[in-house]
This record gives sequence, structure tokens and C-alpha cells, in this order.
Amino acid sequence: MSALNDMKLQIEEKIKADGLDAKEVKGKIGLRSGKLFAFINPSTPDDPEAIAKFRQAAKEILNLSL
Amino acid sequence: MKWNSIRTKVLAALVICLVLGVGCILALMYYSFERNSQVLAAESVSGAQKLFAILEAREISKMTAVSELLVTNPQVGDAFVAKDRTRLLELTAPLYSKLKSQGITNWMFHTPEPDMTVFLRLHNPPKFGDHLNRFMDQEVARTHAMVSGNELAKAGFAVRILRPFYDSQGGVTGYVEFGEELGQFIHAMKDQTGNNYGLLLSKKYVDRQFWADSSAVWKRRDNWDDNPSFVVADKTTASDSIIRFDRDLAAVPDQGKVLERFQEGNSVLVRGIFPIRDAAGNTVGAMFVVRDISGFYLAMRRTQNILIILTVAALALGILLVLTLLTRLVFRRLENIILVATRVVGGDYESEIQVTSDDEVGQFEQLFEQFRRVFVDVLSHVPELQEKR
Repeated sequence: MSALNDMKLQIEEKIKADGLDAKEVKGKIGLRSGKLFAFINPSTPDDPEAIAKFRQAAKEILNLSL
Repeated sequence: MKWNSIRTKVLAALVICLVLGVGCILALMYYSFERNSQVLAAESVSGAQKLFAILEAREISKMTAVSELLVTNPQVGDAFVAKDRTRLLELTAPLYSKLKSQGITNWMFHTPEPDMTVFLRLHNPPKFGDHLNRFMDQEVARTHAMVSGNELAKAGFAVRILRPFYDSQGGVTGYVEFGEELGQFIHAMKDQTGNNYGLLLSKKYVDRQFWADSSAVWKRRDNWDDNPSFVVADKTTASDSIIRFDRDLAAVPDQGKVLERFQEGNSVLVRGIFPIRDAAGNTVGAMFVVRDISGFYLAMRRTQNILIILTVAALALGILLVLTLLTRLVFRRLENIILVATRVVGGDYESEIQVTSDDEVGQFEQLFEQFRRVFVDVLSHVPELQEKR
């Protein structure tokens, strides 16, 4: 399993749980981390730099610790 | 509120404009008030000077007219030539009581030179035989013609006329003098202008002992020590504090001088001074002028308050208008572009930017919409996404 994909799934759960606008939140995280949600899937390689940016963006936008 | 946002910066600039605007109004009003109070004070000084000259001329005319009648009265002339003091007093006393009510305070007959002593004082009959030898006495003896002007006696300042009595051969048989205390003028001036006045006499020309004695006679406080170089002979106000002058009266310029603006209680006042010269041309006294400008000051404050309220209201309205325009024309449209861009990145490829105008922001909207279409088109060719779409 890809760590990035795991994080993506956790974010989607959080968006759903909080009833947020999924497209907007994903867009913000994508812009902040430089990673499009659409390109993250179970085969996405675990790039440490991309993971760190993704984690930080999720923390800043959703206050979600991944 | 974000401190680095354009909205905050514009708001800060407008608030600075507001503060500067109010500051400028306050400064302008203060400057205007200072200038106007100076002008009012200068007008008061020159007006008082003119009024004083008019009153002086009027009183000289009055005394001249009375003296004309007197020197042509044969009974008075005979009694004076005969040196019959009792007869002269009988003839002139009724007229003196009338003249006194008209302001003439001094009336004297003088014997001719070389003695030139006081033969009769209508205002103080028991006192006679003294030799005065003032400047005007010397002048009338020298010219044998009428002389007039201000002259300071030991304890008072009066406008006087002196004219000779002639016998049938044209020889001088004596002199008659009328005088009116200048202190009376300031009360008439106050009645006319509403300003307050003070008549100051230079101590150089006033005898200290005589001043003390006359203060006792007139039941007034001996104010000799109140000021270093002058005494206040008379004033139209009970307040002593408004008359303040610490320079030499001789240094006051002929056209007068505006002193300063000051406050006493709730009143705002301006004061000035002009010199008074005697017949010999010496600056023996001065007239102090105090004008109450409280009404003007209050009107200025009212105008100032109205201007401030109007400026604040206008600028507040301006701020509201500018911020509303900026929000509608720029900020809201930029926020929409950001939202659309964010949503497209988040996967909403159908979200479009509506170009609402062809202004600068509209051109950017159009450019960004074209960019969005290219971006979506590029994404549509990515195999991973084709499945999802």
C-alpha cells in the first residue's frame, strides 16, 4: 500500500465526516502540497518529500494529523 | 482581517487620510483664529485710537465754544480785570455747575505773566495764588493765543484749553483754562464699543505723594505699587488682571500695539495699547484696550466642530464607498477565481470562471478561464484520469 494513498483516504473520510466541500478542500490541499488527489492511487510511490508536504497541508487545512 | 491584504492597506491609507484631514482642519482653524483675533485686536486698538481722538476734538471744541462766550462777556472781563474774585465766582459759578454736568472738571483763571498764578479755581475756590508753570501755561504766555492739548497734572491727566483775556487795547489781562479729565473718556468709549479700557500714566510724570493724597480724596485704592512703570488712572472694569503691561510706555509705537490673546474665566480676550501724548509731545500715558472675543471664539469652535463632523462623515462615507467598490470590482472576483482554481485542482473540472466585465480583472478572468480549459484538456488526456471521468 502507498502511504500517500492511505493519507488520501484518511482525508476523504475526514471531509465526509465533517460534511465539507470535497472538491474545494482537496483543491486546497493539492495546491498547498503540490500533489493532485486524482493522481494518488495505491501504486503511487512513497516519496518522503511529497508525504511531508501532504501531511503538512492536511494539518494546516483540516487540522488533521496524519 | 489580514494585515497584509490590499483591503487592510487601502483601509489604513484612507484612515490616515481621515486623520490628516481632521488634523489639517484643526490646524487651519487654529491659524485662522489666531489671524482673526490679531485682526480684531488691531482693529480695536486703531478704533479706540480714532474714537479717543474724536472725543478729544469734540471736548476741545466744546471748551473752545464756552471760552469764546466767556471772553466776550463784559461783566466777567471787568470782574477779572478788577481782580474781584468774589464777583468773578458769583458770575461764573452757575455756569460751572452746568459745565460740570457736561464733563468739564477744571476751570481756572490765571493772572497774566510775569506772575501767572491761579486767580480763581471754580472747581476748588478756596485754593488760589499758586504758580503752575506747566508746558501749556508757558505756551499761552509765549503765543498769547489759544492752546489746547492733553496735559498731565500732578495727579491726573486732562485735555485742556487755555486762552487769553484781552482788554480794549488788546493787552492780555489774564487767562482762562478749562479742562476735562481723560479718565471720563474711557467710560464713554466703553459705552460706544463695549470694549474695556484702562488709562495708564507713566510714573515719570506723576508725583508719588500727590497720587497717594488724591487716592485718599477720591476714595480709591492707592495702586502706585501695582506696576513698576505706570499707574492705572482709571479703568472700565473691576478686574485688575486684564491690564498687564511690563514694558516702558514710551516704547509703545504711535499706531499702537497688539499685545496678546488671553483667557479669563470663560472669556477669551485680546488686548492692545496705544500711547497718549501730552501737548509737549511726551508719551505721558497710554490707553489699554481689552476686547472680548468669546463670541467669535465660540463661533470658530462651532464651525470647527461642524467641519470635523462633516469631514469625518464624508471620509467615512468615502472609505465605505471605496471598500465597497474594491470588494465588488476586485476582491470578490479574485476570490471567485481562487475558488474555481482550487476546485479544479480538487477535481471539479466543470467549474468555470464567469467573465463579468472587460475591465482589468475581467481580462484576468478571461485569461484564467482559458488557462483552466487548457489545464482540463491536458488532464483529460492523462490515462489515470480518463478512467475516473
